[in-house]
Amino acid sequence: MRLDLWIAVRVVAALATLTALSVVVFWATEVLPGDAAGVLSGPHATDAEREAIGVALGLDRPGAERYLEWMRGALGGDLGTSLATGRDVAGIVGARLVTSLAVLVPAVMMIVTLAGVLGTAAGLRQGGRLDRWLSGTTLGLIGTPDFLVATVLLAVFTAWWPVLPAVALVRPGESLWQHPELVLLPAVALALGGFGATMRLLRASVAHTVATPFAEFARLNGVRGLRYVWGVVVANALAPAVMALTVMTAGLLGGAIVVETLFNVPGLGSELTQAVAHRDVPLVQGLSLVLGAITLLLLLVGDVTARLLDRHGPTATGPAR
Amino acid sequence: MATSTMRRRGVVGATSVLVALALAGCSGSHEAEQAAEPVTVDGGVLRAAFAGGSTETLNYLQGPTALDYVRARLVHAPLCELDPTAPDGVAYGVVESIEMSEDLSEYTLRVRDGVTFTDGTALTSADVLYSLRAPVLLEGLPFTRLVSRNVDLDAASAPDPSTVVLPALAPLADGRELICQSMLAIKDGTTEFTPQTPSSGPFTIAAFEPGQSTLLERNDGFYGQAPTLDEIELMSIADGTARVNALRQGQVDYISGLSPAQAQNLEGEGGLSVATSELPYASYQFFAMNLEHEPFADPRVREAFKLAVDRERIVENVYFGHAFEGNDVPALGFGSYDDSLEQRTHDQDRARELLDEAGRTGMSVELTVGPELPGMVETATLVVEDLKAVGVDATLAELAPGQLFADYPAYLALPFKAGYTPPAPFEPNHTPGTFPEVDALVQTARSAPTAEERLNASHAAQQLLWEKGNQIAPVFVPTISAASTAVSGVRELQFPDFAQATITP
Repeated sequence: MRLDLWIAVRVVAALATLTALSVVVFWATEVLPGDAAGVLSGPHATDAEREAIGVALGLDRPGAERYLEWMRGALGGDLGTSLATGRDVAGIVGARLVTSLAVLVPAVMMIVTLAGVLGTAAGLRQGGRLDRWLSGTTLGLIGTPDFLVATVLLAVFTAWWPVLPAVALVRPGESLWQHPELVLLPAVALALGGFGATMRLLRASVAHTVATPFAEFARLNGVRGLRYVWGVVVANALAPAVMALTVMTAGLLGGAIVVETLFNVPGLGSELTQAVAHRDVPLVQGLSLVLGAITLLLLLVGDVTARLLDRHGPTATGPAR
Repeated sequence: MATSTMRRRGVVGATSVLVALALAGCSGSHEAEQAAEPVTVDGGVLRAAFAGGSTETLNYLQGPTALDYVRARLVHAPLCELDPTAPDGVAYGVVESIEMSEDLSEYTLRVRDGVTFTDGTALTSADVLYSLRAPVLLEGLPFTRLVSRNVDLDAASAPDPSTVVLPALAPLADGRELICQSMLAIKDGTTEFTPQTPSSGPFTIAAFEPGQSTLLERNDGFYGQAPTLDEIELMSIADGTARVNALRQGQVDYISGLSPAQAQNLEGEGGLSVATSELPYASYQFFAMNLEHEPFADPRVREAFKLAVDRERIVENVYFGHAFEGNDVPALGFGSYDDSLEQRTHDQDRARELLDEAGRTGMSVELTVGPELPGMVETATLVVEDLKAVGVDATLAELAPGQLFADYPAYLALPFKAGYTPPAPFEPNHTPGTFPEVDALVQTARSAPTAEERLNASHAAQQLLWEKGNQIAPVFVPTISAASTAVSGVRELQFPDFAQATITP
């Protein structure tokens, strides 16, 4: 299939997926016990006050009607207003996205560098001392829960050797992007969480490439050193590695809740958990939609990049951990 | 100013090491200067952290978090405040007196002279009247609407610039407590709350970023005692552990909303102090037995449940002493609380006897609880253990944060559930509908012509609740905060008040 046509089909599929996602998220938030009026009223309201809050928030209308109205707005770029604060959902989502990215971008850069170098080194010498040591370490990292990694980092760099701030505190009018010292610990915590899996995928991909007749042919023809590593192995192992990296990045964007909570980085993940607790349906919808859209976009970019990189057409690559 | 800059310890990144060194140099010379002069505590910046969160709003009428009220209380002067030690039970603010008519049908508020808003206009009776009506006009959350439930605000009037007249919906003796429970002065016609909205409190908003931080600056035009702090920075740190870490590292000077275990850990650490709000500022934590659930219709079962609970163990093991033992009656520490009631003790034998008499030995019950108050889930866990010890087949159902009250009709229908009431006087906050005799006595306590009759009725109502009420209230839970020892002058009320706080450099 031609590349532009293939991309167009993928974009249409992504839009259909987003629509389905918005229905599922709306329905899932609806079936949770209680609603925003209940949360806002608290335990000390009279029945009349409780009802008035529900009417003011428009929660007395049927779910389908509210969903369609929200959908119409979303198509026009209006994600609605938060039930808990009355603020513009698009504004909240935008601010949280900027905060999440401030930690995610450095974390992904660390992962790419570390996993790239170490994964290639380990894959080239499969079964070697470095490979065995890295296998053990990365398995350990994959098996360590996020909160433990974050807590150890906090203990080491804020208590025993207090060189970094424990909590990301930003003054009004400033952004987390202006404070590398605040970003460092959460970014390292995220990177350590995502590094293990990515490195192992890359290592498997490199090892697989090294074992192909194509690579063997290159070696027999005297291709050596950097030219062999970069031109033969990495170039051919890159496609699956890019896919692995995009999947991991998409996961970290909304899934960094533990790190965001412990370091007080108010990103998309922690906002989503709070919005669910407040039964703030428009905010949950807006956050999920944006997270879904970015994830689909990242996957699309990953697929396109992989397709462009994959010089030998579809092969039986099956990178395994 | 120099002192305030120097107070900002802690942010030590690669880029700011030089700055930190420079500051350390400054601070040395500053100390040398101070050694020669008497130490003054004027000025400075106080950085305080609260749970906050992205729902933070300047509209305190719709602000669900403690941080929203703490900030609003610093920006907007209170009309008056509850003060159980004062003769009227309240301390006056921009309202300088509240007179009650003999027949308890009307209240007359006198507005203090010389109070001005930040836009230069004088605060008058029109502003006070609007402040009282605002919770209804601006769709405030239910807890702000206490006055409107008892006073006819439509018929209220402001006959002259310093007088407001409020007719009660029915004869009302506790109108002062209602007006002073959480009412702040805002300007007539205010419909939205922004940093520029005219205000009359000790501080003004210099910058506000919801879910992140608020910067407050001293209002030199404040009518009352001038604050000494130059600035207050209120920060939002949602996670309790992160708040503790920020305090330990000196990123903030004060943190609120500690769990009892965190307080226990911080106690005794050098340079930090832990403070607990004093009575009456402690939340009434209760476990309600639903009378519709058949076993609880029998008063012997309710009494057995109350006797089964080991209150001292809860105070010691859950709260590490940072809580007040409860006696199954609300409003401990307020003026009308009946201290003469006998403290209920832990009596397992009597509890077993009562259950046996009622034929309910081995009954099954599920206690539903959520983390809505520090220590609530842990307390419920001990209550379930205590009930098992007297032969009740008790289990615990723990809900996610925020879920307990989210579906209120479902909450009401639960047979046995946790709940709480923030610190507030008993009579105006009593929810009728469970015991008609108690409701009638509370009505008398709120409307009888003499103070003595009112107090007697209130005590009789409390006696009835103690004997056969459906709430087990083992502890009253205060707010626990921690601060650097450089901080003083914080009033630990229901929420901390920083208006007169000081910080030593």
